[in-house]
Amino acid sequence: MPKQIAIYGKGGIGKSTTTSNLSAALSDLGYSVMQIGCDPKNDSTTTLRKGKSIPTVLDTVRQRSGDLDNLVHEGYNGIYCVEAGGPEPGVGCAGRGIIAAIELLDNNGIIDEYSPDIIIYDVLGDVVCGGFAMPIRKGIADQVYTVTSSDYMAIYAVNNLFKGILKYSNNGGALLGGVIGNSIKSSLQEDMIKDFTERTNSDVIQFVPRSPTVTRCELDGVTTIEGAPDSRQAEVYRELARKVINNKDKYLPTPFDNDDLADWASGWINQLLLNRKVEIDNIQEEASGI
Amino acid sequence: MVHGNGHHRGSCRKNKIKRILDLDKDTCPNREQRANGTNVYYGKASQLLQDAKEGNINIPDRKFQQSGGCVLNFYLSNRVTTIRDAVTIFNAPVGCSAGSLGYRELYRGVPEALGRTNEYNNAWLTTNLQQEDVIYGASEKLRDAILKAEERYHPQAIFILTSCTTGIIGEDIEGTVDEVQAEVNAKIVPIHCEGIRSRLVQTGYDAFWHAILKYLVKEPEKKQDDLVNVASMLSYTWQDRLEIKRLLGKLGLRVNFIPEFATVSDFEQLSEAAVTAPICPTYTDYLSRGLEQKYGVPYFLYPSPVGFSSTDEWLRNIAKYTGKEDEVEKLIEEEHKIWEPKLNAIKQEFVSLRKNGEKPTVLGSLGQGRLVSQMPYFDELGLATPAAMAQDFDDLLIDELEEIVEKSGDFQLMVNTFQAAEQANVTTNLDPDLTLTCPFQGGTWERDNNVTRIHSLRGDPEPTSAQAGYAGAVAFGNFLLHAFKNRSYHKTLSEKTEKSYKDWWYEQDNPLYYLNESK
Ligand SMILES: Nc1ncnc2c1ncn2[C@@H]1O[C@H](COP(=O)(O)OP(=O)(O)OP(=O)(O)O)[C@@H](O)[C@H]1O
Ligand code: SF4
Ligand SMILES: [Mg+2]
Repeated sequence: MPKQIAIYGKGGIGKSTTTSNLSAALSDLGYSVMQIGCDPKNDSTTTLRKGKSIPTVLDTVRQRSGDLDNLVHEGYNGIYCVEAGGPEPGVGCAGRGIIAAIELLDNNGIIDEYSPDIIIYDVLGDVVCGGFAMPIRKGIADQVYTVTSSDYMAIYAVNNLFKGILKYSNNGGALLGGVIGNSIKSSLQEDMIKDFTERTNSDVIQFVPRSPTVTRCELDGVTTIEGAPDSRQAEVYRELARKVINNKDKYLPTPFDNDDLADWASGWINQLLLNRKVEIDNIQEEASGI
Repeated sequence: MVHGNGHHRGSCRKNKIKRILDLDKDTCPNREQRANGTNVYYGKASQLLQDAKEGNINIPDRKFQQSGGCVLNFYLSNRVTTIRDAVTIFNAPVGCSAGSLGYRELYRGVPEALGRTNEYNNAWLTTNLQQEDVIYGASEKLRDAILKAEERYHPQAIFILTSCTTGIIGEDIEGTVDEVQAEVNAKIVPIHCEGIRSRLVQTGYDAFWHAILKYLVKEPEKKQDDLVNVASMLSYTWQDRLEIKRLLGKLGLRVNFIPEFATVSDFEQLSEAAVTAPICPTYTDYLSRGLEQKYGVPYFLYPSPVGFSSTDEWLRNIAKYTGKEDEVEKLIEEEHKIWEPKLNAIKQEFVSLRKNGEKPTVLGSLGQGRLVSQMPYFDELGLATPAAMAQDFDDLLIDELEEIVEKSGDFQLMVNTFQAAEQANVTTNLDPDLTLTCPFQGGTWERDNNVTRIHSLRGDPEPTSAQAGYAGAVAFGNFLLHAFKNRSYHKTLSEKTEKSYKDWWYEQDNPLYYLNESK
């Protein structure tokens, strides 16, 4: 049985970037990896494929029913790249798209055929409906990871994800493997995320700093692992990969009520703002030469 | 640990999909994926075969399409509701269950003297999903329905039929089932028959067998060497059931008929049988493979017991697995002695009615399973089949169709499910002496030559409607002969009714005129 994990988090928080780097790092470590993008944007695996997108599962099946030979495309270091696909913005039902794509891959033995050591689902948004919860149901992923920054809305999304995990946990659904803190610029941000996990019976598996190397590599259409393998950032992703592959933790998180979450957050946000003000003031003081 | 690079994929995907069923999954793949099925084709049978072999089959859209059934309501629901000591829950808006309403009355047409049980009721519930359930999820409603079913009926099993609605919102049916199972005695069996899953209704049958294999069939306690599993088609009649029972009974064998009118224990003991025998290969395929894969119960898929030579073959196959090789030869001889003169008389009469020495032509409208079993039978009757219609076609029957094309030569083949207009067009253009249609495929319409409705439902107990075994071959032959001789029904029909379509449609030489070629 392959290890199957699903990565969730607020829109634009860095799920696909983190996932692709994680896949690339795992592949470098010698594991056979399959990355499945569950997002109609079809952009999960682009940095594994030199910036080029691949035909999606749903499009392929739509155009030629019964053709199941063209759903998996090789990317960096032989990583199996799959994009579920889905409707154009503003039409159809993306949630149903995810259900249909995962069922198609799963029921037809396509995943078994490639028998990867690890399968990573990169899932858009939070678990807004039954479709987006598909990967965490019994029999698909066994661990969920969530990417967050120290922004309130990002943590809010994590808290919602925890509610989804809780819901499905009664029925054999996936449990939490850990929280990935992303785009970290200060230790206070780390402290805030850490405090959140402590209060919700979860844990941080890795902090990933905000880094211009990531941006530069993305512009070149590659992951940091491929584009800047010797950088400090690449080492962070490799460390994450080693931790994920060995991680057996399964947390049953205890999410905040929405009101309590807001109360908890306001204290931290004030501190972060103050911290930023001090930073800016310092710069101004230094610049003024006093 | 295998590295991504240089990892080679296994053998041909298509064979792999067909043979190995993954019963750990919640459901089966759909027929399009599992067997490259289609229900849109008109042309030479040989061409369809070639397309199938090369993997070139697809399902183009029609710009004009007549109504049909869905994976849920095209006979799946009617079948499941007949299971005697079970309750069916439609996890659906109320309309999805509408098709089941009439069936209780229909089945009550079978006299008790012929074996229908006295205690016969269709018990089913619907969760009656509403807007609110779609928005907020409906697992509580399903839970309630399961508990109500248990409390009211104390059934042995509770079947859950899923629908488009639960499929679209991604209801976690298995999650609810796992949770509630501990609270009820009945075994809960969720079936994934969401209408939108597939354009081929056969997917519903596969989904049903998947659930049966996954939830209901028990580990064998003992082998029952005289038990023969027969998954009987709804559209074979009650008489066919009796004929099969009679023939196997003469060999000292018992029939385990599923699913219609079966009890839950009939399903549980499927694993103990000596063999699974087909009535319709396309219907039985998934069950047969699953029983072999999981419990080593052998099976064969061809032929079905239709016509003399196929019935001989069918019985011999069963005898092989039950150690009745000697007995079966005796039985075949006896039966031929009784029935062959009657079949020959029918054949003779067809010969005497020939116009200019030519064989009468028959255009059969059949499921793909019936297609491969009835064409050899028509041959036995001395009828020519220059063309045929099938409701669907997929890779599961490539070998059988190939055998028929080799034996009887090429023929025109129309594949559609319930497209009455296409059927009317083909029938008019080919103008056969006899046409067989399914009552749901357009029934009868006004034409000068004969159109005869032939598919009867299980609820039809008339001896004249039989088709299976030796008695059925004779009854069916007689039926065709009468239709061939007596044209008054069609004469009256042509006089009294207007044409269903405008002339240009009948004159149109392409029955797939409305196909969307661009896709
Ligand atoms: N650690 C980081 N350092 C610098 N930039 C980052 C980092 N993580 C993510 N980014 C940048 O943030 C942007 C959004 O990232 P990404 O596309 O991975 O987010 P996402 O969560 O997958 O978004 P979506 O919800 O739209 O799928 C990208 O331009 C990416 O390069
Ligand atoms: S399952 Fe879907 S297609 Fe079938 S009857 Fe219900 S709504 Fe209609
Ligand atoms: Mg993304």
